[in-house]
This record gives sequence, C-alpha cells and structure tokens, in this order.
Amino acid sequence: MGTKGGRRRLGARAAVVVAVLALLATACGGDDGVDVNSVEESDASSSASGSESGSASGSEADAAAEDDTATDEEGDVEEESGSASGISEEEVAQTTENPLIQDAVDGYRVYVQEQISDMQAETKVFADAVRDGDIEATKAAYPVSRRPWERIEPIAGLIEDIDGAVDAREDDFDGPEDPNFTGWHKIEWYTWDQGDLTEAGPFADQLEADLQTLADTAETLDLAPGVLTVGAQELIEEVAAPDGKLSGEEDRYSGTDLYDFKANVEGSEALVDLLAPVLEEADPELLTAVESSFDELNGQLEVFGSFEAGYVHYDEVTEDQRGELAATLGGLAESLSLLNGALGLE
Amino acid sequence: MISESRRRFMKSAGALVAGGAVVGCTADSGSEAIPDPESDVVAGSGPPNFPFRGNHQAGVTAPAASSGLVAGLDVRAASSEELADVLGTLGQSIEQLVSGEPYEDRDGGFPPLDTGILGTPPVGTGTSVVVGYGASLFDDRFGLAGQKPAELLEMPKFANDFLVQPERSHGDLSITISSDSGEATVHAFRQIMRETRGALVPRWMKEGFNQLVPEQTHGRAPARNLLGFKDGTSNLDTDDDETMAASVWVGPDDDQSQWTTGGTYQAVRVIRMMVEFWDRTRLNEQEGLIGRHRASGAPLGLDDETDEPVFEDLESHIARANPRSSGSEKNLILRRGFNYASGFDANDQLDQGLIFVSYQRSLEDGFIAVQRRLDGEALEEYVRPLGGGFFFVPPPPADGAALGEPLFS
Ligand code: HEM
Repeated sequence: MGTKGGRRRLGARAAVVVAVLALLATACGGDDGVDVNSVEESDASSSASGSESGSASGSEADAAAEDDTATDEEGDVEEESGSASGISEEEVAQTTENPLIQDAVDGYRVYVQEQISDMQAETKVFADAVRDGDIEATKAAYPVSRRPWERIEPIAGLIEDIDGAVDAREDDFDGPEDPNFTGWHKIEWYTWDQGDLTEAGPFADQLEADLQTLADTAETLDLAPGVLTVGAQELIEEVAAPDGKLSGEEDRYSGTDLYDFKANVEGSEALVDLLAPVLEEADPELLTAVESSFDELNGQLEVFGSFEAGYVHYDEVTEDQRGELAATLGGLAESLSLLNGALGLE
Repeated sequence: MISESRRRFMKSAGALVAGGAVVGCTADSGSEAIPDPESDVVAGSGPPNFPFRGNHQAGVTAPAASSGLVAGLDVRAASSEELADVLGTLGQSIEQLVSGEPYEDRDGGFPPLDTGILGTPPVGTGTSVVVGYGASLFDDRFGLAGQKPAELLEMPKFANDFLVQPERSHGDLSITISSDSGEATVHAFRQIMRETRGALVPRWMKEGFNQLVPEQTHGRAPARNLLGFKDGTSNLDTDDDETMAASVWVGPDDDQSQWTTGGTYQAVRVIRMMVEFWDRTRLNEQEGLIGRHRASGAPLGLDDETDEPVFEDLESHIARANPRSSGSEKNLILRRGFNYASGFDANDQLDQGLIFVSYQRSLEDGFIAVQRRLDGEALEEYVRPLGGGFFFVPPPPADGAALGEPLFS
C-alpha cells in the first residue's frame, strides 16, 4: 500500500509536531486536552454525559489515589491465558479492591445505560421512518441510530445472540433475502440496495424489540474490570478487522462506515477516560501514548466529516488514507493491549 | 501529537526490549572483516543466529538459508527525530530477536512479548535480518538528502518490466530475513512489525524458500530454482575477504558520505516464472537458455558443475550475466535469492518464481550492468519481473550506538 498522501500530510505537520514534542519532553502530562471533549462537541446528544461521568469519577479518584498505592494492583494476579481479545466469563467474574478501578466500573455502568437509552430513542426515530416508508428519513436516521450501539459493542458480547439479531451481515445467511437476516443491516439493504421499504416494517419492529431485550439484560450485567480494559482494545480491533469498518464491509449498502468507525473510537476513548485516573497511577506513559494516538486518529477522521456535518461515503476514503488509518489503529491497538496488564488485571 | 504517541509507544517497546538481554548479541566489532557465524553463537540449541552488530550486516554474507522473506516498508514519521526513534527501535528489535535470548516473561494480564511460535525459550534458528534504506528515505521529509549514498536511486524499469508495479516495489526501508524454518522467519517478521507498529508500514513483501544441499561449498549451488536448475553455482566466495571488499562492501573512498563504508547496495527483484510454459519446453532449449545442463549444473558441453564455461556465443543467461571478458570482473555480484510459490493467478496459472536478491559494492557496476546485459535475453519469454527495489544496506551500528545514528550526526 502506498502512503504518499500520508507522507505529505505528516510532513506538513512536522513543525507543529516538533514543537509539541519539545513541550512534552519536559512535561508528558501536558498533552491531555484529550478529545473526549471534542467528541462531546460533535455529538451533544449522546456521549456527553458518558464522558462527563468519566472525568467526574476521575477527579474524585485523584484524591483517593494519594493513599492508595500501586501495591493493590500487583497482588491478585493468577495464571491466566492472557488472551487479549474476547471477554471471557472469568473476566466478568473478576473483582477488584482498587477503588479507582471500581469507580471506573461504576462510571462505565452509567455510560452504558446512557448509551442504551440514546440507542432506543434514536432507533425509534429510525424505525418510525421505516414504518412510514420514508426512504430519506430512514437514510438520515440509520447511521445515527447505530452510534450508541457501536460505542458499547463490548457489552453486546456479554449478551447472548444479541449481536446476531441486530448487527449481522448478509454473509451469515443465505443472502440478504433470507428471513433470518434481521437487524440494522437488513433494513440498510432494503433502504439503499432495494430502495423500497414496503417489506421492512416488521424488521424495524423486531429491531426495537431486540434492543429492549438488550436494555433489560444490561441492567443485570455484572461488569468486571476486564470488560473495560479488553473492551477498549476490542473496539479498536473491531475497526481494523478484515471484515470491520476499515475495509468498508460493515455498511456495504450505505457506505456509512465512518459513523460506526467514529462511534467505536468514542466508545474506546470513553473507556480510557474512565480508566485514566487509575492508569495515571499505574503507567502514566502508557496513558499519554494512548491519548495521543486517539488525538492522531481523531485528527485523521476529521478530514472526512463529523457527526454533525455528516461523514463522506466510505468509497471516498482512498487506499492511501485507509493505509494511514490502519497504521494509526495498529499503533493504538498495541498500546491498548497493555492496559489490562498495566492495571494489574488478570 | 501524532508522533508523540508513536514515540512513546516506541520508547516503551524499546524499554521492554532492553529488559530482555540485548547485551549478549554484541559481536566483537574489532578487526575481523566478516563476522564468523560459528564464533558468534548467541544462544539456543539450533543453528546460531547472526548478530546484528559487527563490521557488516552479517545477513549479507550468511550462507544460503532454507527460508526467507523480503519486504519493502514505508516509515511514518513526522520529523528526523522521529525517524531516528523508529530506526533505533528497529535496531533494538532485531538485536533482541537475533540474540536468541528469551523475551521477558510478563504477567498473564499482558499479551506475551513474543509470538511463542518458537517455543520458550526460543532456540537458535539461523536467523539473520538485513536492513536496507531506500532512496525515498533521503527525500525531503527528513532532511537527509545530503546523506544519500552516492549511487542509490529508485529502481528504474528494465526491458522486461511491464508488470512491475510501484505498489509492489520500492519502500523507505527493506527488511530481509533468512532462517532455517518458515516459522522462524514468520516469528522474526512479526516481532519486528509489532515492535514498530504504526511507524513502519509494509508496502509489499514476499516469502520464499530454498531446498538446500546438505553441505554448502563455494563453487556449487546451494539449491535449485523453480526452473529446475541449480542456482548459485557461480557466485562470490563470502569467506574470501578480498573478494568481498572488491565486489560487495563499499570502501572508504567510494562515497563522500563516510557512514556508507562497510555497507553494500541491495537489489531485489521479484521475478515470476511462466512455469507451465517452461515445463512444456524442450530440455535442449531450456539448457541453451541458461547455458548449463539441468541435471549436473555443468556448463554446456562440460561435465562438472565446477568446470569453467567456454562460450561459443554470448546468448545464454550465464554468458550474458558474466561474459568473463576483460573488465567484466568488476560486474560481479553476490546473489542470495529465494524461490517463491504463491498460489495461482486469475487465469489459473501458477504464480511461482524467484525472489532475486543481490548485494554489490556499486549498483551501476553490479546489478545494473548485469541486468542491462540481460535485457533482451531469450529467457525473458519465460520470466516476468513483478516488483522489487534498490536499497542501501548500512554498516551495523557501532557498539553502544543506535541503528541510523550516523545519518543524523
Ligand atoms: C527468474 C529469473 C532468473 C533465473 C531463473 C536465473 C537462473 C540462473 C541460473 C540457473 C544460473 C546458473 C547457475 C549459477 O551460476 O548460479 C544463473 C546464473 C546467474 N544469474 Fe541468473 N537467473 C535469473 C535472474 C537473474 C537476474 C535478474 C540477474 C541479475 C541481473 C541474474 C544474474 C546471474 C548471474 C550473475 C549468474 C552467474 C553467471 C556466471 O557467473 O556464470 N540472474 N541464473
């Protein structure tokens, strides 16, 4: 893959970067105008409160952190496979004594609840448009309704069958017409590929019902700290997977992959934000690395639009640009894969 | 911002590497011109790896290996400082790798530091890694134009090159891995890619293999290529320091960029063979095209592989490649290729061929001169170059120095 375009962009920013480096060389904490804030700006409706709860618990936590040294984190490590992907049941059952970690878990529970209620509200707009047979309104509501889902995808992994019901692709079935193919992408197919919503109504009803199941189940979920660390990484792995957003496989009829992409990044960022106070204690260098990778990635995504202004069709993202995104995602994923161990989790 | 994250990441990767035992692999860079693999056994129970430090990159003169990989990579760095970091990390990564020392054992809450492919602790695998700089590294991005090795240029198109594509050619860097198994090669490449993730981006790569003879001796081919002919019969003697100094290593007076001394130019050509067509070609024709007998490797009309060829005309591949005329000795090159087989193409034709790799003191007198003589050879009908590149293989970093350091001083 060629990276010529990327080179030029990087080159143009070199001067700025050098200046930033100079600053950071003396104070590595200085860079933390991290972009969870800009996420809020561009998406006032849904993610703002989640991020706030993150920083709120963060500042309380700072105080608590003083007398709570790193010793906690070392103690309770047992031999485990260390598999970084896939949230296992042991991880769900995990508990921790570190109050900062507990704060993060509590904060995430709030975040998840907020995302789920946004998801239900935005999906109602979407489903109503489908039932009205209003193609244009459906097109507008589709990527919006998916954002909360994409932000909390790690949670979906904890609820049986939900992913297959609401987010499967036609590849898992006998083609798009297979009646067992349900969820967002089924309606996406009716909307963009068929241009006809006459038969889509029942799938909109079904989607809403499935999301209600998600909402009900999520309330009872036992969230272990590993869900947070591994979740932050998985959201990024998800983007880069060969059948993920980077390849444009996800929203193949609509080309709205960048909405999902951005939402995955936001979901991961929100997790890191919640874990920031404890990570600040355990491995501040890693925190800086992760946060600046997010900055870089968000800078790259900005070129393609925003939730408010809309994102370009994924076809418009060139091979070179995908290569640049892949490289940033790769670096970020390597860093995120260290979160779990850095926090002393199993 | 961009770069800071990468820089941090690289730093932590570097630190982790440093945590493993890197010291053990520092070869004595004293007097000896060519590191002797036998005396530099670094670790493990298999064949020794080749140390990264020394007077020359040891992979250049390492014996032919049964497994290999060549890749062209681009650097993502926003400044020369960042480039220095990337190269430093790359050097550390290679050192840890060829040291054969086990990677640090981390807590199970972390992903392990190594692939695990070679077991724990990793055994010696005859691994060598050669790093090369492409011409693009010296473009306007890093202010290194003044440091460019005198003869380094982007690989131009040659006569038979209509299938050569930029996306499978060139690169800011080349990485060439040799080892005694496919697993060791894959392990090496994955470790390097992982420890430089986000900063080094592969442009193209090709994996290859050689079915080696039991004992390699100078004057006899270490393997056959996929045309079925012995390959490497007439090659430079890597044990002969004088030969290496004359034909492979850049000398102190060759280039005003002094840091190039002890380096060498690398030419890589991924060349597909039309194997179906070849297998339908009369033996006499095949042997005439190459200039040697298929079974014995002897020059046409002679008995033994080591016999000196006598040319009636200069049509065969070997006669063109090395006419043995007065002055042609300055065109001698060291060839270190691999065979490759990559499935089949859209027309159901097998995609097989040669990853041609040569090292030479001068690109102009070496690869380019030989290739120009081969331009238009009859063998072209059976082969199609697909990609490759020209690179400069710098001398390894001095003790205590980082890879690339001389570029920035
Ligand atoms: C797929 C392409 C090629 C094939 C199948 C091929 C095959 C061979 C064979 C069978 C030999 C005789 C055995 C030996 O001495 O090693 C040979 C020799 C040689 N080839 Fe190639 N070759 C190819 C490409 C090239 C290229 C691209 C170059 C350099 C530009 C090259 C340079 C040489 C040289 C210098 C010799 C030694 C000649 C001598 O000293 O007798 N070959 N090749």
